[in-house]
Amino acid sequence: MSRFKSFAGKGLSLAVMAVFMLAVIAGCSGAGGSTAAKTDTTSANGQSSKTTEPAAEGKTEAADGGTFTYARPAAVTSFDLHNEITANNAFAIDKVFEPLVSFDKDGKIVDWLAKSHEVSADGLTYTFVLRDGLKFSDGKDVTAKDAVFSLNRHLKVGGPLEISAKIGSVTAKDDHTLVVKLEQPYTPFLSEMSNFSNGILPDNFGGKTEEEFFKKPIGTGPFVVENWDPTGDVTFVKNEHYWQEGKPHINKLVYKLVQDDSQALNQLKAGEVDGIESLALQNAQELKNGDGTAVLTNGSWVTEQLFFNTLDEHFADKHVRRALALALDRDGLTKALTFGYAQTANSLLPTTIPYNSNDSIKPLNFNVEEAKKELAQSKFPTGFSSTLLVASGNDTRAQEAQIIQAAAKTIGIDLKIESVELAAFRERFFAYDFSAMLNSGQADSPEANSIIAFQTDPDGFSKSYWTHYTNDQVTKLLREGQTTPDGEGRQKIYGELLQILADDVPYIPLYYPDIIKGVRSSVEGLTVLPNGSLRFEDAHIAQ
Amino acid sequence: MTQTLRKARREAGFPSSWRWVGTALLRALLVILCVTTAVFFLIRIVPGDPAKMILGEYATDESITALRHTLGLDLSLWEQFVRFVRILFTQGDTGNSIVSGVSVRQLIGDRAPVTLLLIAMAAVLAVCISLILAVLAATHKDKLLDHLIRIFPAITLGMPVFWVGLLLILLFGVRLHWFPVGGVREGWTGMLYSLTLPAITVAFSQIPTLVRSLRAQMLEVLESDFVVTLKAAAIPRHAILFKHVLRNSALPTLMLLGVNLSYMIGGTLVVEQVFGIKGIGSLLFTSISSRDFPVIQGIALYCAVAVVVIGLLVEIFAWWLDPRTKEKR
Repeated sequence: MSRFKSFAGKGLSLAVMAVFMLAVIAGCSGAGGSTAAKTDTTSANGQSSKTTEPAAEGKTEAADGGTFTYARPAAVTSFDLHNEITANNAFAIDKVFEPLVSFDKDGKIVDWLAKSHEVSADGLTYTFVLRDGLKFSDGKDVTAKDAVFSLNRHLKVGGPLEISAKIGSVTAKDDHTLVVKLEQPYTPFLSEMSNFSNGILPDNFGGKTEEEFFKKPIGTGPFVVENWDPTGDVTFVKNEHYWQEGKPHINKLVYKLVQDDSQALNQLKAGEVDGIESLALQNAQELKNGDGTAVLTNGSWVTEQLFFNTLDEHFADKHVRRALALALDRDGLTKALTFGYAQTANSLLPTTIPYNSNDSIKPLNFNVEEAKKELAQSKFPTGFSSTLLVASGNDTRAQEAQIIQAAAKTIGIDLKIESVELAAFRERFFAYDFSAMLNSGQADSPEANSIIAFQTDPDGFSKSYWTHYTNDQVTKLLREGQTTPDGEGRQKIYGELLQILADDVPYIPLYYPDIIKGVRSSVEGLTVLPNGSLRFEDAHIAQ
Repeated sequence: MTQTLRKARREAGFPSSWRWVGTALLRALLVILCVTTAVFFLIRIVPGDPAKMILGEYATDESITALRHTLGLDLSLWEQFVRFVRILFTQGDTGNSIVSGVSVRQLIGDRAPVTLLLIAMAAVLAVCISLILAVLAATHKDKLLDHLIRIFPAITLGMPVFWVGLLLILLFGVRLHWFPVGGVREGWTGMLYSLTLPAITVAFSQIPTLVRSLRAQMLEVLESDFVVTLKAAAIPRHAILFKHVLRNSALPTLMLLGVNLSYMIGGTLVVEQVFGIKGIGSLLFTSISSRDFPVIQGIALYCAVAVVVIGLLVEIFAWWLDPRTKEKR
């Protein structure tokens, strides 16, 4: 017994203490390590677009094959392209279905399944000519009839990303030519055609029922669904009939469901996944400097904003909104919160969207004295108390709210922060049950009308993004912008419209956040798109 | 005389045991019904619309209304409840997931093995570690080792489970690469390997109370008359300790473990999230965020059943082990 006592006593207690100490030490220290070689490159249009170079040792070699495992916070629940909108499904659907035209990493519209497209001078007829030798993933030829079926189904379903143009007819002129006739000119149409929801599927679902088809979808995209658990992972294999010869380079793409962001981050650091979709700004620097990890970024189509409910007794007053805009140091806020992964916003439109007028517009810049004068002109010259609604679970937004709260206090406005869970947050603002809120506006395609219509159209279902803001001049310019052909005329219209918004301040555009993705340094050729999706066609994993 | 008394007792005891079983089952059924009904109404009172969560912020009112109709969310609360009860009794299920369309029973069935294995591993680990620590503490009463072991629960009880999990991930997953950071690998060995850290984490939260209880029980038994007699009879100490003391102090600890098992079902939910394990916990987490009512109800139902069954088993176990409890009945 005494031997047992001494052995068990000393040995075990030492072991327990050692494990405990190690755990504490490990937990308290950050991730150090050497820095992998990385360079920042600038994309063609001058947008900040940083890509990773392979590890510096020179031993790495890009080879075809292999599996890319991508950790994502939400599962893919449906492949029905006409009924989906949220990122969890959209960024899986776009791997299987492809539209006639698409956009590149700079948001420029490019021909995709169509080898060319033509818009008639009156803006009413769009003609798309399909690429030669296009095949679906089952080896069958793609014809204009498939495109007709796809667009007609989208028109019939409507769905969350419905086609806004008034379509007169969709016809197949011959096997390779699709003609779409509009009832009235609608300039954003081409850009809207680049949405994943306008992807091409086989005529009549290839003879299957809708349900069967979307369980094992067939498209022209670079990948084919091999295994799909609607509450878990998706495994894609490369499409052997893909029209871009020799691509994709990887054999398999796995969308691994990892709901917890810090778990995903740790899996990336340990090399268990090759990339992570959701990366908090505060962790980006750690990955950038980390051993074997890197950060990929691109400009986004998102504008982070402070929204005002213009039905609210205080924020109905334009002077109050203007005073808050003047009291807020947007530049300081952006620098403090985004670690260099964002650009301060002047206009509603991010700089990645054409006609953004970010350089020419004159916003209400930080000036506390002017802010006080502006508030003095309002119905509440000495200030008031109100609330700022924020969805919980987003650290950056929580800090944003605090900065705004402090800025408001400098002019006598007492903002109480109300942090509620996402589902409750949506319920509240959908019912206009808020005074001010933090949220972001996002374009679905590289088109000015996308964000502007959603945030200014008083007849739209969102009632100017639930601000209830109405300005007849803005509505007139919005309609003009939709029918005016691309060019200087359209530029002028949006310049004027955005200036009115900057003066009326139904919302304060704060900053344009970059898209940031965490990857292993061994990953090459991955393209980060401005909508937040990734293109894997050129991706390699260095051996 | 004695025989007559025994017979009378047996006759009186037989129907009373059946009565006990009947009462226990009725009580269990009542608990399960109350839990499912409460959960049904509670999740519907909390703000948040599943249709809006599925379609996102850019969905039109028409598409939201259409989806609400498809999902039966436009029915009155009472009609929804009747529908829910009908499906529950006719199909033994709570319906299909609103988000994925998969049957809740299938969803839970797919994920239950991993959660059950995690609980089992954690329970075994907790018992083994607690046993060692309690024996050491009890045999070293008021010495340094005893103090250290007694301080240990005080410290660990204050540590949140997710924090312990994160520390283990950073040390053994990210730094040392001894164990996977998260997820569950294929095959039995893969599963056991990847569930080791999560099981340690869950066990960590159970050990303090088990050690305390077992140590106290052992000390009580160590000081009892029969141990003094055994010592006087020169029976070796290890034999006294493991054959008599441990056996006699095990019952209350096992009862405690039974109660803790119910808590562990709740505890694993957090741990699964931290370790990225696709078990019942992570399913519940996603379902709550997306307001997937049938799945939340299903998990509540099965968890309630599990807790009630464990409770019953513990009672039966105690009844069988300890004649005193039997007499009380």
